[in-house]
Amino acid sequence: MTASAVMFRSAPDVRRKRLIRYGLAVGLLLVGFLLHLQLDSALTLSDQWRIATGAAPDSFEEFQFYYAAMPRALLAVMVGAVMALVGSLLQQVTQNPLLSPMTLGASSGAWLALVCVSIWLPDLLADYRAWFAMGGALVSVTLVLLIAGRSGLGGLPVILAGMATHILMGAVATAVILLNPYSADSLFIWGAGDLTQTDWEWVRWLLPKLSVALVILLIAPRPLTLLRLGDAAASARGLSTGPVLAVLLLLSLWLVSSAITAVGVISFIGLIAPNIARNLGARTSLDELVFSLVLGALFLLFTDGLAVIISQWTPDMVPSGTTAALIGAPALIWFARSKLSSRDQTALQVPEGAARVRRGVWIGVPVLLTLLTLLHLAFAPAALSPFDLSALFQWPSDLVLSLRWPRIVTALCAGAGMAVAGLILQRLIRNPLASPDILGMSAGATFALVAFTVFVGGSIHEGGPFIAFAGSASVLAVLLLLGRKTRYAPGIMILVGISLSAVIEALVHFVLAKGSDQAYAIIGWLSGSTYRVSSGQALFLAAGTVLLFLFSLMASRALTLISAGDAIAQARGLNTQRSRFVLLVLVCGFCALVTAIMGPIAFVGLLAPHVATMLGARKVWPQLWLAPAVGMMLMLFSDWLGWALLYPKQMPAGTIAAILGGAYFIFLLTRRRLG
Amino acid sequence: MAVRAFFLTGLCWLTVLFSSSASAVTVTDSRGEHEFDTVPERVVSISWAMTEDVIGLGIQPVGVADIDGYNTWVVRPAIPDGASDVGKRDEPSIEQLAALKPDVIILSNGQEGLIDKLEQIAPVLFFDAYNKDHDNAKAAREIFLELGRLFDKEAMARQKLDAMDAHIASLSEQLKAHFGPDLPQVTGVRFASSSVVMVYGPNAMSQAALTEMGFGMAMDQESNQWGIVQKKMTELSTISKDGILLYFKPSPGVEKLFAAPLWKAMPVARANRVAGVESTWSYGGALSIGYLAQAMTDALLTIAPQ
Repeated sequence: MTASAVMFRSAPDVRRKRLIRYGLAVGLLLVGFLLHLQLDSALTLSDQWRIATGAAPDSFEEFQFYYAAMPRALLAVMVGAVMALVGSLLQQVTQNPLLSPMTLGASSGAWLALVCVSIWLPDLLADYRAWFAMGGALVSVTLVLLIAGRSGLGGLPVILAGMATHILMGAVATAVILLNPYSADSLFIWGAGDLTQTDWEWVRWLLPKLSVALVILLIAPRPLTLLRLGDAAASARGLSTGPVLAVLLLLSLWLVSSAITAVGVISFIGLIAPNIARNLGARTSLDELVFSLVLGALFLLFTDGLAVIISQWTPDMVPSGTTAALIGAPALIWFARSKLSSRDQTALQVPEGAARVRRGVWIGVPVLLTLLTLLHLAFAPAALSPFDLSALFQWPSDLVLSLRWPRIVTALCAGAGMAVAGLILQRLIRNPLASPDILGMSAGATFALVAFTVFVGGSIHEGGPFIAFAGSASVLAVLLLLGRKTRYAPGIMILVGISLSAVIEALVHFVLAKGSDQAYAIIGWLSGSTYRVSSGQALFLAAGTVLLFLFSLMASRALTLISAGDAIAQARGLNTQRSRFVLLVLVCGFCALVTAIMGPIAFVGLLAPHVATMLGARKVWPQLWLAPAVGMMLMLFSDWLGWALLYPKQMPAGTIAAILGGAYFIFLLTRRRLG
Repeated sequence: MAVRAFFLTGLCWLTVLFSSSASAVTVTDSRGEHEFDTVPERVVSISWAMTEDVIGLGIQPVGVADIDGYNTWVVRPAIPDGASDVGKRDEPSIEQLAALKPDVIILSNGQEGLIDKLEQIAPVLFFDAYNKDHDNAKAAREIFLELGRLFDKEAMARQKLDAMDAHIASLSEQLKAHFGPDLPQVTGVRFASSSVVMVYGPNAMSQAALTEMGFGMAMDQESNQWGIVQKKMTELSTISKDGILLYFKPSPGVEKLFAAPLWKAMPVARANRVAGVESTWSYGGALSIGYLAQAMTDALLTIAPQ
C-alpha cells in the first residue's frame, strides 16, 4: 500500500521532501553533537577544536574533553544509531511495529547472565564481562525467536514471548540478587544504562563490531522491499526469505549485544526511532533504515544530554537509561498508537483438555486446596536439617498461627484475584495470551508505588492501596482514551504494558545505581511477597476480592457474549462499549488491590484460566469458579515453596510464581509452534 | 575469716538483689520509651549494625539475621558461636524467631515494616540509625549507649566508646607525626564502575572517623541519609593535588582504571596521593568508626608526606 502511494506521487516532490527531512535531521544531529560536547566542558571552542584535531591534552579540562566528553558523545551517536537501525530492520522484516531489541528480551538475558557471573564467578567478570553479556543476550533473544516461531514474528506472539522471557529472567535475576545482597552491586550502573566514559576504550571496542551495520545497509534493502510484497511474491522473484531472514537476524543480534555490552540497558531507541521515521514520511526500505539510524542517534544524544544536565542539578547522577525510558515511553505510545489496529487477533491454541469439567475435578480441587493449606500450616522445615521425620509435621503454636494466617489468606486472594482478572481480560480481547501483568494494568499500580518511593521518599511498604489505585486508574484512563479509537485492541494495551514496565525498570535501576539499601526494599517488594501483610490488610484484601468476584459473576453473561464476538453480543442487545468499560474497570480493580497489598504478581493471571480450560471449563461460568481455584493453588504452593525451600531464608511467592508460570508460558508458546 | 566471707557473700547477694530489682530499665528508641522489667537475656538482632553493637557490648545474641552475609560484608566483630540464623534481614523467619523465645528483638533502618509483626513475638526496639536529619556517627554512639543501658552495661558501653576515642586519638597522633601538624584534606570513595564513583560525604561513618582524626573533607558534599553520593569519576578532579583520595576495597578493575590517561591527569593522581583501604563495612554501629579509622590510617600512612 505504501509503495503504491509513493509511486503515484510526483517523484521530484518526494525527493524534495526527503531532502528537507534528511537535511533537518542531519543538521540537528550535528548541532546536537556540538551542544552535547559543551555540556560538561569549560574549554573554549578553539581549544576544543585543537584537542579534537590531535593536539595532546595538557590541563585536566583538556584531558576531560578528550577522554570523557568526546567518547561519550560519539558513543551516544553510535549506540543510538545502531539500536535504531536494528529496530528498523526487525520491524521491516516482521512488519511488526512493536519489535525491537528491547521487546525481544535482549537486555534481560544479558542482565541475568551478568548477575549470575558476578555472584558465582566474580573473578571472571572483569575480563570476560562482554562475552557473558553477549552470550546472555544471544540466548534470550534466540529463546524468544524460537518460542514465537516464523509465524509468530509478525504479531503479538513474539511480543508476548519477549515479555514472558523478560519477566521470567528478571524474576530469576531478582531472586539471585535478593539472596546475595551487595555481590552484584557493581553491575547496577550498567543495569541502569549509562554512557559516562573515562577513556576511548569502549568506543574502540564497539566501533569494529558495528561495521556489520554497513553490511546490513548494503544487503538488506532489496530483500526487505521484496518482503513487503509478501512471502509468496518474494519467492516468486527468486528470494527465499528463510535464509535471508536468518542472516539478517543474526547480524542484528550481534549488533545489539555489542551495544548492550558497551553501555548497558538503554531501552526504547530501537522501538521508537523506526516508528517516528515512518511517521515523518520514510517510505522505502533503505530510507526507513537510514532515517531511523539518524533519528536514533539524535534521540540518544538528546536524552543523554538531558541526563547530563539533570545530573548537574541534582546531587545524584542520573543515568542515560533513565531519561531515555522516561521520554521514550510516552513518545512511543504517541507515535505508535495509530499503527495498532484491532487486526491483530492472532489467537493461540490453549492445549486441548477435557470437553467438560468432570465431577472428580469439582471434588478434587477443593480437597487439594485444603491439603495445600494444611501443608502450609503444619510443615516444619526446621526439621529438614538435621532430618527429623517425627518433627516434620506439627501444628503451629497459636502465636505462629496468628502470624501465619495473613500470608495464607493473601496468597489465596492474590491467586484468585489475578486469575479472575486474567480470565476477564482473555475473554475481553479474545486472546488467550492476554494477562494483566503483561498488559500494563498491574504495571500502573507498581509504577505509582515505585515512583512514590523514589521521588517522595519513604518506604515502599507505606505507599498503600490509594497510590496503587491511582496508578491503576491512570493506566485505565490512558487505555480508555487510546482504546476508544482502536476498540480496545490488544496491541495498544501491550504497548502501554511494555512502556510502563520499561519505565519501572529504569526507575528501579536508577535507585539501585544510587547504591543505597532502599533499592533492596524496592526489589524485594517488586518480587511480590506475602510476608509483611498484616491481618488487617489480609482481611481487606479478602473482602475486596470477594466483592470483585461477585461483580465478576454478575458480569458473566456480558463476558460470554463479548467473547462470542461483538456482532453476536450486539444482536443480543448488549451495549458492548459499556460492558467492555465495566469489565476493564473490574480488571483494574483486581490488579490495584492485589498489587497494593502484596506487590506485582506475574503469570498467574495467564496460567490459571488456561489450566481451568484444560480441566474442561470451556464456558465462562465454570471457568469463573475453576480459574480462581487454580490461581489459589498456584499462589499457595509458590508461597509455601518460597518459604520452605531455603528455610530460614525465604523467597517471595511472586518470584516462585513467576518462575513456575514463566516456564509454563514458554512451554505453551513452544507447543503452539510445534503443533 | 568465716564471718568475713559470710558477710561478703551477703553483700554480694544484696547487690544482686538490689540490682535486679533496680534493673527495671527504660530505654528510648526511635519510637519512644520502652520499659523492660528485667534485663533482656535472649537477644535477637535483625540488622547488621545492631548486631555489631550487641556483640560489641559482649552480649551473645541467640539469633542474628543473615549470618553468611554478615560474615562476608561486616566481618568484625565476629558473631559468637551459638547464635542461630533467623533468615534474611528484610523477612526474618517468624517461626524461627518464635522458637527462640527472645526477650527483645532489635531492628534498624529498612525494617520499620516488621515492627507490628515482630512485636507479637517479643518487645521490639527500632533505631533509625541512618537518617539525613541527624549526624549518623553521633546517633550511632547514642544507640550504643542506649543498648548499654538496656543490657545494664552502660559503664561498659561508655568505656568502649572512650577506648575507641583514645585509639582514634593515638591514630591521629601517628598521622600527625607522618604528615605534620596540618593534616591534608581527605575524601573516601568506592568505585562503582570504570566511570562512576560513590563518594562518602559528611554523614558517612568513614568521614566521621576522618573528622575525629583531624582531617577535613577534600570534596564538598551535601549530607544525606547514608552519607554516600554517586558521582561521575571526572568529578574527583575537584580534589586538589594537596588532597588525598582513599578508595575502599574490594575494587575490581582498579588497576585498569589507574592506567587510563584521564585518571593519570587527575590532580590527586598526578600527585600520587591515592590509597586503597582494606574492606571495611561502611554502615555499621558505633564501634565501626574505630575499625574505619584504623583501616584508613593504615592506608594513609602509605602516602608520602609533602
